Formats: sequence, C-alpha cells, structure tokens
Amino acid sequence: MNTMNPMMRENPADLLPELLTLFGAVLGLLTGMFVPRQRQWIAALVCAAGVLAGLVAAAFAVSGPRLMTFDSFMLDPVTHVTRLTVLGTTLLVLALGFAPMRGHRRETEFHVLTVFTALGTIALGAASDLLVLVAAYLLASIPAYALAGFRKDGKGAESALKYYLMGALLGLLMLTGVTLLYGLGRSTSYETLARDLPSNAAVTVGAILLVAGLLFKAGAVPAHFWVPDVAEGSSPVVATLVTTVPKIGALAALFRLGDEVMPHSWALTIALIATATMTLGNLAAFGQDNVRRLLAYSTISQAGYLLVPVAMAGRTDLAEPALLYYVAAYALTNLGAFAVVVAVGRDRISDYRGLARRSPLLALSLVICLLGLIGTPPTAVFVGKVLMLGAAVEGHYIWLAVVAAVNTVASVFYYLRWVVPLYSRAEGEPPAVSRPAALVVYLTTALTLALGIGSGIALSLN
Amino acid sequence: MSAIAWALPALPLVVGALLLLAGRRADRGAPILGVAAGLGTLGLAVAAAVARPDVTFPLFAGLPAGMAVDGLSAVLVVTVASAALAVLVFAAGDIGPDEARARFFGLMLVFAAAMLVTVTATDLAVLLMAWEVMGAMSYALIGFWWHDDERVESANVAFLTTRAGDLGLYFAAGCAVAGTHSLSLDALPDAASPWRDLVAAGVVLAALGKSAQLPFSFWLSRAMAGPSPVSALLHSATMVAAGAYLLLRVHPLLESTGWAETLVAWAGALTALVMGAVAVAQRDLKQLLAASTVAQIGFMVLAAGVGSVAGGTAQLVAHAAVKCLLFLGAGAFLTALGTKDLSELHGAARRYRLVGVTFGVGALALAGLPPLSIWATKDTILASTPGSLYAVGLAGGVLAAAYSVKMIVAVWHPQDALTRDDAEQPGTRHVGLAEKLPMPVLAAVGVGFGIVALPGVLGPWQKLLGASGEHGPTALELVISGGLAVLVAAVVASRRVRVPRLAVAENWLYLGQAADRLVARPVLALANALAWFDDRVLDGAVRAVAAGGRAAATVTSRRVELPTDGLVDGLGRAVRRLAALARRPQTGQVHTYYAQAAVLLVVLTLVVVLVG
Repeated sequence: MNTMNPMMRENPADLLPELLTLFGAVLGLLTGMFVPRQRQWIAALVCAAGVLAGLVAAAFAVSGPRLMTFDSFMLDPVTHVTRLTVLGTTLLVLALGFAPMRGHRRETEFHVLTVFTALGTIALGAASDLLVLVAAYLLASIPAYALAGFRKDGKGAESALKYYLMGALLGLLMLTGVTLLYGLGRSTSYETLARDLPSNAAVTVGAILLVAGLLFKAGAVPAHFWVPDVAEGSSPVVATLVTTVPKIGALAALFRLGDEVMPHSWALTIALIATATMTLGNLAAFGQDNVRRLLAYSTISQAGYLLVPVAMAGRTDLAEPALLYYVAAYALTNLGAFAVVVAVGRDRISDYRGLARRSPLLALSLVICLLGLIGTPPTAVFVGKVLMLGAAVEGHYIWLAVVAAVNTVASVFYYLRWVVPLYSRAEGEPPAVSRPAALVVYLTTALTLALGIGSGIALSLN
Repeated sequence: MSAIAWALPALPLVVGALLLLAGRRADRGAPILGVAAGLGTLGLAVAAAVARPDVTFPLFAGLPAGMAVDGLSAVLVVTVASAALAVLVFAAGDIGPDEARARFFGLMLVFAAAMLVTVTATDLAVLLMAWEVMGAMSYALIGFWWHDDERVESANVAFLTTRAGDLGLYFAAGCAVAGTHSLSLDALPDAASPWRDLVAAGVVLAALGKSAQLPFSFWLSRAMAGPSPVSALLHSATMVAAGAYLLLRVHPLLESTGWAETLVAWAGALTALVMGAVAVAQRDLKQLLAASTVAQIGFMVLAAGVGSVAGGTAQLVAHAAVKCLLFLGAGAFLTALGTKDLSELHGAARRYRLVGVTFGVGALALAGLPPLSIWATKDTILASTPGSLYAVGLAGGVLAAAYSVKMIVAVWHPQDALTRDDAEQPGTRHVGLAEKLPMPVLAAVGVGFGIVALPGVLGPWQKLLGASGEHGPTALELVISGGLAVLVAAVVASRRVRVPRLAVAENWLYLGQAADRLVARPVLALANALAWFDDRVLDGAVRAVAAGGRAAATVTSRRVELPTDGLVDGLGRAVRRLAALARRPQTGQVHTYYAQAAVLLVVLTLVVVLVG
C-alpha cells in the first residue's frame, strides 16, 4: 500500500535505540563477569538502563521521517510502535524478574538474554528484507529457548526443548519459504518482491511457509503448541516474556509483509488462521484450572484477534492503527495479568480464593486486566478491539468481525472463572504477595487504564 | 397606613392561632385574651374605617392581590369587630371553665379574622382564601362539642352545603381570569360576554349558599347545634352576612349581566317570605331565630338585587346587632334554664329582667315596629323595589312581625304549671355580668340604627357607601309597613288568631330531606357505582392483566422456557464438548505437534490455493 518510496540512507544513528539497548546488554554481560554474585544486580541495572536509554531514544525517533536504513530496516510507525512497546514491556519484565532472580547464580544471564530477545523482536518488526527477517527470527528465538529452560528443572527443560523443537521446525519451514520466494521474486528485499513476485500457487505456498515461522513467534495456530507448555513449564517471569514480547515483533513483521509485499490471497490466508487461532484459543481455555495455561490459551486467542488487522493489511487504512494500538494494549494487559501470577506465585485458580480480602488492590488490578483482555471499556484493549472490528468491517470481511465478536463473548466465561474466586471466602490462608511484582501490576494496570481513557489522544498521535 | 390593613385581620388571626396551638394549657387565660384581642380588633377596625388603608401584594404571577377598606368595607369591619367583641364578652361568661375555652376563643378569633379579610379583599383569590377559612372555622365551631355525633353530623351538613356553594366561587375565579385576565372584583363587570355571565352565576351560587338562601337554607337549621355564642356571631356579622356582603359588593356585576339582578332579587324576596313562614312555624327558640335570620338576610339579598346598596348595608348592620342580641338572649336563657323550647320558656323574661327587656327590645326591632331600626332599613330597601317584589317583601315583613312577637309572647308569658326547666340540659339559674354586658349596647344599636333611613342622615350614609342617588323610603311606605307591623304584632300578641300548624314550614320545607334525597343520595349512589366500577372493572382489569401475565409466564415457563433453556444448555454442552476437543491436540508430545502443524499448513495451503 505504501507506494511512496521511502528515503534511503545508511546512518547508524537511525539505529540508536537498538544500539543503546545492545550496548547496555553487552556492558551488563561484562559487568556480570566481574562482580561477585551478591552484586550481580548491578549488571541487571546496567541492562535495564540500556533498555531505558533505548526507550528514550525510540521515543525521540518517533517524530523522524519515514525512511529505510541499511537497505533492510524500515523506520515507520510500525517500527516505532514495535520499538516502544517491546522496550517498554521488556523494561517491565526486567523489573518483574529483578526480585526473583536476586542472587541467582546466572542472574546476569537472565537479564542479558531477555534484552537480546527484545532486540531480536524489534529487528523482526522492523525488517524489510527476508534475510534480515530470518536473522531476527533466530535472534529473537534462541535467547528465549535458553530462558525457557533457565530453571534447569524437569518441567523447564521439557518446555525449553518443546519450544526449541517447534521453533526449529517452523524456522526451517520459514527458510524454505524464503528460498522459494527468493527464487520466484529474485530478491529478498520487500520492495523488489512487491514489484516482481508473480501471482501463482507457488508464491502462495512460499508465503504460507514464510508466515508459518512468524506464526510460531506470534503463538498462533498451527504453531501455537509450545505456548501452553512453555507458559506452564518455565518460570512465571519467562512465561510473561515469551507470551508478550515476541508476539509484538512477529505481528509487526506479518503486517509489514501483508502491507508491503502483499502476496496473492493474503487476506484469506490470514483470516483463516485468525479464525482458527481465536476459536481454538478460546475453546481450549474453557476447562483450564491452571491460570498460566489459561493465560497461555488467552494469549493464543488474542493472537487470533491481532491477526484480524494483519489480514486487513493493505485493504483498509484502519488496519495499521488497529494493529498497532491493539498490540500495545494487549502487551500491557497481558503483562499485567501474568505479573499477578508472578506476584501471587500460585498456579491453580482455587489458590486465588479470597485474594480480594488479603490484597484488594491486587485483586482489583487482576479484574481490570482480565476485563481488559475481554475488551471492556475503559481499558485499552477495548479501543483496540473496536478498531480491529472496524478494520474487519471496512475491509469487507464482515464474517471475520462476527467470528471475533462471538469469540469475545465466549471468552467472558473463562476470564470470569478466574475473577469469581477472588471475591469468594478463602478456605485456608490466602497466598502471600510479592510486593515488587505487585508494584509492577499496579503500574501496568494504571497504564492500561490511562491508555484506554486517553485513547483519543493516543489515536490522534498516530 | 397599610399597616392597619395588615394588622386588622392579623391581630385576631395570630391570637386565635396561638390559642389553638396552646390548646388546653391556655384555657384559663383564653377569655381574657380573647376579649382583649376583640377590643384591639375593634380599635383597629375603627382606625381602618377612618384611615381607609389600601394594600396590594403579589400573590400569583401577573395577578396582583390586595385588601382595601372603602365605605362598604369600613361599615362591615366595624360591624364585624363589634359583633365579635360582643359575642366574645358574652362567651367569656357563657362558655364555662370546664370547656375547651382556648379552642373556642381561638376558633372564634380566626373566624372573625377570616370575615375581616373577606370584607376587605379586593380580589377573588384573597376573598376565596378567607371565604374557605371562614367555612372551615364554622365547621369547627358548629361541631365544637365533637363528642356528640349528631352535632358533628350537623357540622358536616353545614360544611358540605356551604362548600357545594363555594364551588361557584372557584368557578367564578377561573372564569374571571379567563374573561378579564385578573381576579380583581372591580374588573368583573368588564369581563367579555360569556365569561361575565359565568362569573355572575358562580358568585350568586356561592353567595346564596353561604347566606343560606333558598334552596340552601336547611344548613342553618343544623348549624344551631353549635354553642349559642357561635350562633350569635355566625348569624349576625359573619358567615351568612358574607354572602349578602358579596352580593352587595359585586352589585355592578349583577347589574351588568341583565339577568342576575332579577334572579337575586327574587331569590331574596322569596326567601324572606318563605323562611318567614318557616320561622313562624318554629317552636324552638333557636330554630325560630335561625329561620328569621335567613328571612332577614333575604331582604339584604333583595337589596343587592334591586340595587339598594345603602339599604342592604343598613339592614345588614341593624340585623347584625339585633340578631346578635337575640341569640345572646336565647343563649343566656338556655344556659340558665336549660331549654330553648318556646313553650318551656314561659316566664323566662320575668325571671331575668335585663335579658328579658333587651331580648324584648331586640324582638320588637326585628318585628319591624316603628321607630326601631329594622322598620327603617327594611323600608329603605323596599323603596327601591318594584311592584310585585314590593308586595312579596312587604309580606315577608308582616311575617317578621308575627314570629318576633311570638317570641316575645313566649318569654314574657307568665310561668305556668306546664313550664318545666331543664328540659334539654341542666341549667345554671344564673346569668352573669359578662353575659349581660353586651346586651344593652346591642339593644341600643338595634333600637337606634334606623336613624340612617331618616332623610337627613340617609344622604351621608349613601355617600359613605358610594351609593348616592338611591331611593329613600317615602312617608307612605313607612306608614304602610309600620302600620302593618303594628297590626300583626297586636293580633299575635292578643293571641286571638291561632297560627295554623304547618308541617312543611315546621320542618324547614323538608329542604334538608330534599337535599338528602335529591343530592346526597344520588351522589352517594353514583359514588358507590363508581366504586363498584373501580373495584370490578378497573381493578378487575388490573388484576386480569396480572393474572394474564402470570398465566402467560406459566405458559412461557412450560412451553418456551424449557426449550429455550434446553437450547442454552445444549449450546453450553456443545461448547463444553468442543472445548474438550480443542484441548485434545495439546498432547504434550512434540511429534504429534509436528504432525498437526504440518497437516494444518498443508490444508491451509490447499484451501487458499483452491479457493483464493
């Protein structure tokens, strides 16, 4: 759709947010090597400082012109929002992980790997060349595999292995797709591909294979299998990270592909995937008693909703704001819900009985986050969902809007299954609450409300 | 100046209200306070009559209200205040210490205050308020001994009858606003044609009801159930006088319509005649006096009808004094001797000389004997009256002579073997100073007020009332009426002619029964029918709707709810099954994941390639 050719240049300053983040991570790694274990937190702070610096730089970069740098890295609203959302949520994840990782023998590694995942994710969202996309995929995936098995216990190792094996298969399919498209379009650059790709079944096959890899990162059908297993098996902080951060970049990359390359029958492909993803995620979430698995399926269904504006890429101008707004709102809200799990430290729904009595504010925050995931005003996801449905209608995919609406209604059931016990009488002693994690919850919840209420402002900036 | 206009009704109103609020705690001081307030009110009334204050104040948007004292009002306020004072002084002696004196004096003062506002009001809104308060006070006073059901019943009859007439005043007020865009009494004759007639009709109805003219007369008979001082005030200067006053006040309106004057004149003349006959037939002193009041008020109404404002007003004042005196006398007899039956009162006047003499003087004045007051005032009215009406009025005067002398004969006849004391209630055998005090004064007024009809005085009197140019009585007329009165009085006194006993007249023409049969019962029957309609039809419909709703709900719950519920349940079960199915792919085994992902991607590719 963006027929206007962007300005091109090769100025490292355009990558300042990424460079600052990378610098912080490397410096953190070096710091971690030379400080004793009791003071590894300094390395964590260095990493966080790098992310914060990157966030500030990214915020300043928003007002810059739309341009392509180093022939493969687009600087446009999609990239800006990806940068801000990824770095912002990463900062919150670092804050969330700070206390649980204190004194861990690989404390520094955790923070550095988290930052690397974030960097890979940003590259994923900004890439406009298939080879860079593949590299970004690997950069985003490999640190995440390591993080999934970070605890080195049985469940962690199992989830890390499943994560890795799924990633390996779909990465392979993705490379196959890239090869196919390169052969058909004689280039890996989006710009050239958009011009030269023919319209035939082979391109469709290539596109689907390419998309498969990104669906793995987004946690969408048919590459969603890892999500519940990793969310349940790895540590809660890592579960927060892998269900939140990679999705942002993957969806941005998918949108970019649809918007800039626009292969034949893109909308139908993604619409089918979206339908399957949201429906399966919602249905599978119904019977879950484990809140992490419940949230995992919830993230799958949310990926389905998020794929709706991706499917509408190039069909309506509403698609881009819808995706960017929804993805930011989703990231914050999902992070808030997972952060409650981190704060409480229990996984069964029944463990949450009477939480409202022990920690009313935390319970209220959880309710706001869960209602937010349903899409209740005045939370941010509500606005995202409205835009998403609007995009589907405007893109003449009314059945997709209907499917999304029906799924939304159905999703109320399992979110409420978690809300109700919060306000019922506790049988035993309600769980203790971690204060630092609770602070992250409050901050995140406040942000989702502020984003929802300030949606007019947020949209007008777009 | 305007302060007097406010203070005049405010003084009795406030003192009366305070007495009512204080209740029985104030019983001891109530007579003193009441008489003091009466004195003060009389002083204010005189001051107002001299100063002629005039106030207007906003009451409704665009409809200024006001009170003013003009010539007519000046006469009326002094009359009302004087009569009220006389009655209050009498009541201080008559209403015993064991009665609820605070309530009595409070009600009397508010009653008088309402009358004072009525006669000073310059617009229908203020008039109506005072008019209503007066009606309510009369109800409370007639039913003063509320332990007695019959007295309360009488109060109800009086209240309902006057209220029925009062509706006319509301009607008139509404039509006045429609016709003149104001409520001012002065503006009424200027109302547009249909409105003017409607206003006149409403006012006439209200006035006739309040003044107990035909056909409303019966309520005054029932009003005798109240204490004697109440009757004295109610019959002299308040309540019944209010109707006559109103008609005199709106005489220009009656004149402007063309028909109202005639109607009012005939209503008054016929009432004077017929109720005179009723009075002659009465054997109870207070009932006789009540009927005579109606008859005498009839002359005032006749005056309003023929445009003799000066005569009517003079008649009002003279009658107020005389009737007040007579009721006080009757009350004194009743209290002392325990009876008001004319045949049981033989010798009463001889036993209580002062009461007897003043009562006799009052009765002679009422008889229209020359040179006493009513002889002159009545003739002033009749002077303006044309032929046939004159004859009717003259006949009414003759009857007045008959019933008046009948009373005198009854109380001055020597006590005989058949006379029994305490026939109705235990008497005190005592007439106190307070009771005697007002009587000579009232008697003097009753004797002398006829002076206004004299040629030299009539002119200024007419000028005072703004009624200059009205006819005064000619010598011939005076001689004829005086001669007739003397003749009839002599005949009755000689007791040669036996007055035939007429059941119709004795029973007040069966007006009360007629009202009961023709108005009260049909209204009750209609009310019962409407109540039946409400209970059976309206309420039944409501109940039927409710029952129908329940029936529909039952049907719904059996026929619709179950399938719907089943549908919902079925949906729930289906979703549950689907949810279980959705968890099946999550085997936890990577090789099945691989297979599923591969198959799904192949299917997706096929679908997109084939469909897209």
